[in-house]
Amino acid sequence: MIDYEYLKPKDLEEVFSLLKSYGERAVLIAGGTDVMVNIRNKKLAPEALISLRGLEDLAYVKKGEDGYHIGALATHRMLETSSLVQSELSALYDGASQVGSVQIRNVATVGGNICNAAPSADTASPLLALDAVAVLRGPGGSRKVPLTEFFTGPSQTVRASDEVLVEFEIPSEMGQFGSAYHKHSRRKAMDLPILGVAVSLKIEGEIIRDARIALSVAAPTPMRAMEAEAYLKGKKLSDDVLIEAGKIAANEASPRDSLRGKAWYRKEMIETFVPRMAHKALERLKNR
Amino acid sequence: MSEYLYVGKNIPRTAEVDKVTGRAIYINDLKRPGMLYGKIKYSEYAHARIKHIDTSKAKKLPGVRAVITGYDIPDVRVGFLRDQTVLKKDKVRQFRDEVAAVAAISPEIAEEACDLIEVEYEELPGLFDPFEAMKEDAPLIHEVDARGRPIRTNILPLPWKFEAGDIEEGRKASAYIVKDSVETTWVNQCCMGTSGCIAEFDMNNNLTLYNQANVIFWDKRRIMEYFAQIGLKDSKVRIVNPIVGGSFGTKLDTDIYEFIAIQLALKTRRPVKILFTREEEFFALPPRQPAIFEIEQGCDKDGKLTFRWAKAILDNGAYTSWGATTPSVMMMPMSSLYRVPNVYFEAKCVYTNNIYCQAMRGYGNPQATFAVETSMDHLAEEAGIDPAELRLINCNHSGDVTPMRLKITSCGLEECIKGVKEKLDWDKKRGKRNGRGVGMASLIHVAGGARVYKSDGHGMIIKVDEHGHVDVMSGGTDQGQGSPTALAQIIAEALGFRPDDINLVFGDTAFGLWDAGTHASRHTFIAGNAALEACAKVKRQILELAVVELPKLIKHQIKRQKRKDPDFKEPDLDFSLIANPEDLDIRDRIVFSKKDPENPYFRTEVSNILREALHVGTGKSHVVVAEAFYDPPTEMLDREFKGNLSCTYAFGTTGVEVEVDEKTGEVKILQLYAAHDVGKAINPTLIKGQIYGAGYIGVGYGLTEEMKLEKGRVMNPNFLDYKMLTAKDNIPVTPMIIETDEKDGPYGAKGIGEPGLVPTAPAIANAVYDAIGVRINDLPITPEKVLKALKEKRKEK
Ligand SMILES: Cc1cc2nc3c(=O)[nH]c(=O)nc-3n(C[C@H](O)[C@H](O)[C@H](O)COP(=O)(O)OP(=O)(O)OC[C@H]3O[C@@H](n4cnc5c(N)ncnc54)[C@H](O)[C@@H]3O)c2cc1C
Repeated sequence: MIDYEYLKPKDLEEVFSLLKSYGERAVLIAGGTDVMVNIRNKKLAPEALISLRGLEDLAYVKKGEDGYHIGALATHRMLETSSLVQSELSALYDGASQVGSVQIRNVATVGGNICNAAPSADTASPLLALDAVAVLRGPGGSRKVPLTEFFTGPSQTVRASDEVLVEFEIPSEMGQFGSAYHKHSRRKAMDLPILGVAVSLKIEGEIIRDARIALSVAAPTPMRAMEAEAYLKGKKLSDDVLIEAGKIAANEASPRDSLRGKAWYRKEMIETFVPRMAHKALERLKNR
Repeated sequence: MSEYLYVGKNIPRTAEVDKVTGRAIYINDLKRPGMLYGKIKYSEYAHARIKHIDTSKAKKLPGVRAVITGYDIPDVRVGFLRDQTVLKKDKVRQFRDEVAAVAAISPEIAEEACDLIEVEYEELPGLFDPFEAMKEDAPLIHEVDARGRPIRTNILPLPWKFEAGDIEEGRKASAYIVKDSVETTWVNQCCMGTSGCIAEFDMNNNLTLYNQANVIFWDKRRIMEYFAQIGLKDSKVRIVNPIVGGSFGTKLDTDIYEFIAIQLALKTRRPVKILFTREEEFFALPPRQPAIFEIEQGCDKDGKLTFRWAKAILDNGAYTSWGATTPSVMMMPMSSLYRVPNVYFEAKCVYTNNIYCQAMRGYGNPQATFAVETSMDHLAEEAGIDPAELRLINCNHSGDVTPMRLKITSCGLEECIKGVKEKLDWDKKRGKRNGRGVGMASLIHVAGGARVYKSDGHGMIIKVDEHGHVDVMSGGTDQGQGSPTALAQIIAEALGFRPDDINLVFGDTAFGLWDAGTHASRHTFIAGNAALEACAKVKRQILELAVVELPKLIKHQIKRQKRKDPDFKEPDLDFSLIANPEDLDIRDRIVFSKKDPENPYFRTEVSNILREALHVGTGKSHVVVAEAFYDPPTEMLDREFKGNLSCTYAFGTTGVEVEVDEKTGEVKILQLYAAHDVGKAINPTLIKGQIYGAGYIGVGYGLTEEMKLEKGRVMNPNFLDYKMLTAKDNIPVTPMIIETDEKDGPYGAKGIGEPGLVPTAPAIANAVYDAIGVRINDLPITPEKVLKALKEKRKEK
C-alpha cells in the first residue's frame, strides 16, 4: 500500500541529516513528477519522501563572470520563460519548453530531470551540448562532475546516496555558441522523445571552430557524439560536412529497438537531425 | 411565422457548466452509504490452465470483506455468444481474464488483497495471429459452445456473407481492376472518464446498478437473464446512469466487471463500487477490433464501378462481444458507398488469445471504409481518372436503392465531394508528388436509427408543471454527446417554450420508457422524433386548457382594470377567435390567437393557463403530461443482410492536404475539411463539436493511435505510449455543414455522431500517396512505415 512520511527540511544541513537517518529508506523529491509516478507504478516504495521544495534558494537561473548557473530546483517553466536561456542557451530552452505540459513544467525541475537519469530526459542532451557541470553537495562538501561523466546507466548516476545536486555550471564561453535541440516525438505535448539531438556550434566566418553534439535515447545514457564533433572542428561549413557529421554521430550511437521506436529509425533520425539542428543553431547565432 | 426560434441556433450547452466546473457527479464521485471497493485479479498469461488459486492470505488482510473466485459463484456463461464465465476457474484465454475479485473498505486494501491472491498456472501455447488460428491443426481456444457442444474451429459461427448481382459479370465488364490488401489495428476508445459501476441490493434482493450503460434496457435485460440463472429470477433490476464521461462504444455491452460488482455486492450485502484505472481501461476493456481486408474493385472505361469484392478477417480475441457483429455495418460501405452493381463481401471473426473486442464509434465502418476508399484511389489511378471525378461518376443520389436495399432519401454526397474539392484547391494541388499532397474519402452511415434490435424505438414522457417548467423523461442516455441541448431546442421549438424551460432526465430504467440506446448515431433523430410526437400531444392538451382558461383570464383582467380605473372602456373582444384549440398557438412561452396574434388580451404566459387549470378549486383540476413512443418505419436486415435498416443515411467527405517529411516519414496535416450532410443542423456548434472530435479521433486512427500487443499483452496501457492526439497537436479541422432537409428527420435532422471519424484515415492515406507516391495500407501510418516504404521505393528505382 502507498504509505510514506513526507518531510520538508528547510536547509541542506537538515536534508543531509535526514538522509543519514533514513538511508536507503528515503527518497529525495523535488517536483515529484518522476517520483510520484514511480511510487504509483510500484517501482519505488519509500518510507519517507524528503522534499527539496523548502530549498527555495536553489531555484535560479543567472549569469556571472564565471559563467551560467542554473539551480537544481529551477523548474522547466523557469527555464522556458527566461530570456537568458532563450537567447544564450537556446538548446536548453528547446528542451525545457517541450517537457510534458505547462502544468508539468510548472513543478518539474531540471535537477530532477537529470538525477532521474532517463535516457530520454529532455534537458540532458541540451546540457551535455552546453558543457554543463553538475555540482553535488554532501555532508563532506562539494564536488563538480562534468555531465559527460554523470550518467552511468539508465536511471543511474554518480550521485552518492547522501548527496544533493545543487546546481549546473555552464562555462561562459558557451555563450558564444549557437545551439538547438530537437525532440523527435509523435505528439506535440505529453510525450517523450523517440530520439533527441542537441547541437551547439561556434563559428568564425565559414569555419566551424568548435562543436558539441549530444544525443538522447541513442544509448543507455544520454551521450555525446565526440567523433562527429572532432570531425566538424576546423571544417569549412557546408551541407556535406554536416551530413557527414550526422552519419558519424549515428555510428557512434547504440540505440535499441523498443516499443517507442526501432533502432534503425533512431539512427536515421540522428543522421537527419544533426544537420538540421546545426542549421538551426547557426541561424540563431546569425540572428543574435 | 415559419422562422424557427431555437432550431438551427447555437444554443450553449448549459447543462455542461457543472462538468467544466467540476460539480457534475461522475461514477468516480458517487458514493453510497457503507460502500465497499472492488478490485479484480487478472490473468498473468495469455493462455494457461489454472491449477490452483489460493486466496487465504488475501482473506486475512484487515479491511477485506470478500474474496471470490470462480468456485464461489455460479458457473454461468455470459456475453454475446455466452462464451465466457464471470470469473475463470479452469482456463485463462487472454491477459484480461478475471480470475478473482476482492471487496474491501478501501481501493488500496482491495488492490493489496489482489496482489496476495496466489494463482498457479500451467502455460499453454497461445494463438496471436488469426491466420494461425484458422489453420486446420490449430489448437482450439474454446472446447465447447454455450450448449456444451464441441467446437471444431476457432472461426466464430457467424455467417457474415453478402452477395448482390454477379461478381463474374462485373469482372467481365471491367476495363480496369485493382486488388489490395489493407489492415487496421486495435485502438482504444479513450473515454475521458474511466469505467465503473456501483452494485447495490436491497434486502429483497432487488438490484440498483449505477453504471454507464448506453443501452440501459438491454443492460437490464442481460442482468435479468443472468439473475434467472443464478436463482434471483424474482429480483427487480434498476439501471441508473450517473454523469457519463464518454462511451464511444465501450458501454454498449454489459462488461464483466459489472457482473463481478454484482457478485461482490451479493456476497457482502453492501454496495460495491468498481472503478477502473486508466491502465485497466486499456487492457481490460474491449477495444476496436483489427481487421485485415483483401479488396478488389473494377470499373469500366468510363469509370463506372462494375464490381466490388472483399474478404475480411477480424481478430475477435478470446471471447465475443458486439465487435463480432461489426461486419453487418461493414456491409454498408462495402455494398452502398458509391453506386456499385455487383458486390461480394464476407467476414470471418476468429478467436485468438488476444484481447477481445467490441464496438467503437463507427462500428466497423472506419475499417471497411479504409479498405474501400484506399482501393477507390488505386482504381482511379489505374483507370487514369481523377480520384474525385471517379467518386463523382459513381456518386450516390437521392432515390437510389442500393444492393443492400438501403433506400437513399436525402443525399448530399455530391455537394460534399465538390465542396471539399473546391476548398482544397484540388485541381491545382493534386498530383505534384513533391512531398505535399491532397486526398479525399467519403462515407455512408446510418443516420435515421438502425434496426439492429427488433425495436429501434424511443419512449419519451413530457410533463409540464404549473410554473411552465418542462420535465422530459427520456429512456435514452447522455454520454456527453450534447443531445440534451439539441433535444431541448427541438422540444422548445415544438412546444413554444424556451430551451431554458426544459429539464431532461436520462438514463434511468425506472423513469424512462424503452429506448434502443445511444448508439448508431441515432439519438437526436429517434429521440427527436419521439419528442415531436410527445410535444404535439402536450401542446394540444395545453391549448385545450387554454380554450377554457384564457377567456376566464381575460375577464378577470378586464374586471381588475375596471376596478382600478372606473373610466376604463371595455374592449370589444371577439371570443370566437379563441374558441377552439386550433385557433391558438404557443410561441416563446406565450399563448396567442392565431387569427389575432397581436391582440394583447388574447396573449398570456403559458404558465398562467397551467396554473389556472390546476388550482381550480373544484374536482376538475388538470395536469399536463403526455408520452410518445417512436419506432421508425424501418426493416431488420434479412438473412441475406439486406433491408432498409435506417430511415435515412448520412453522407460526408473528408479532404486533407498533407506534407510528408521524406527524411523522417512524418505526416503533417496542413488542412482537413470535413463536409457532412447533416440533414439540418439543429445546433451548428454542437455539430461542429461532433465533427472536430470525430476528426481528431480519425486522425489518431490514421496516424498515431495503436494498441501494441505482444503475445496477447497490451504493451502500452497508458497515454504516454498510446498516442492519442492532444490539443497541442492542433489539427486544423474545418467542418463544412451541408443541409439537405431530411423529410423524416426532426426538423430535417440526421445523425452525425459517428460519421466524422469514418473517412478521415483513408483520406490521409490517399493524400500521403499523392504526396510521395507510396501507399501505406496498414494503419496507423507511422513515420517508420513511411520512411521504410520510401527507402524501398528509392531502392526499386
Ligand atoms: C505527465 C508527465 C510528462 C512528462 N514529460 C516529460 C518530457 O516530456 N520530457 C522529460 O524529460 N521528462 C518528462 N517527464 C518526467 C519528469 O517530469 C521530468 O524528468 C522532471 O524534470 C523531473 O523533475 P522533478 O522535479 O519532478 O523530479 P522528481 O520526481 O522530484 O525527482 C526525480 C528524481 O531525481 C531525484 N532528485 C530530484 N532532485 C534532486 C536533487 N536536487 N538532488 C538529488 N536528487 C534529486 C529524485 O530523488 C528522483 O530520483 C514527464 C513526467 C510526467 C508525469
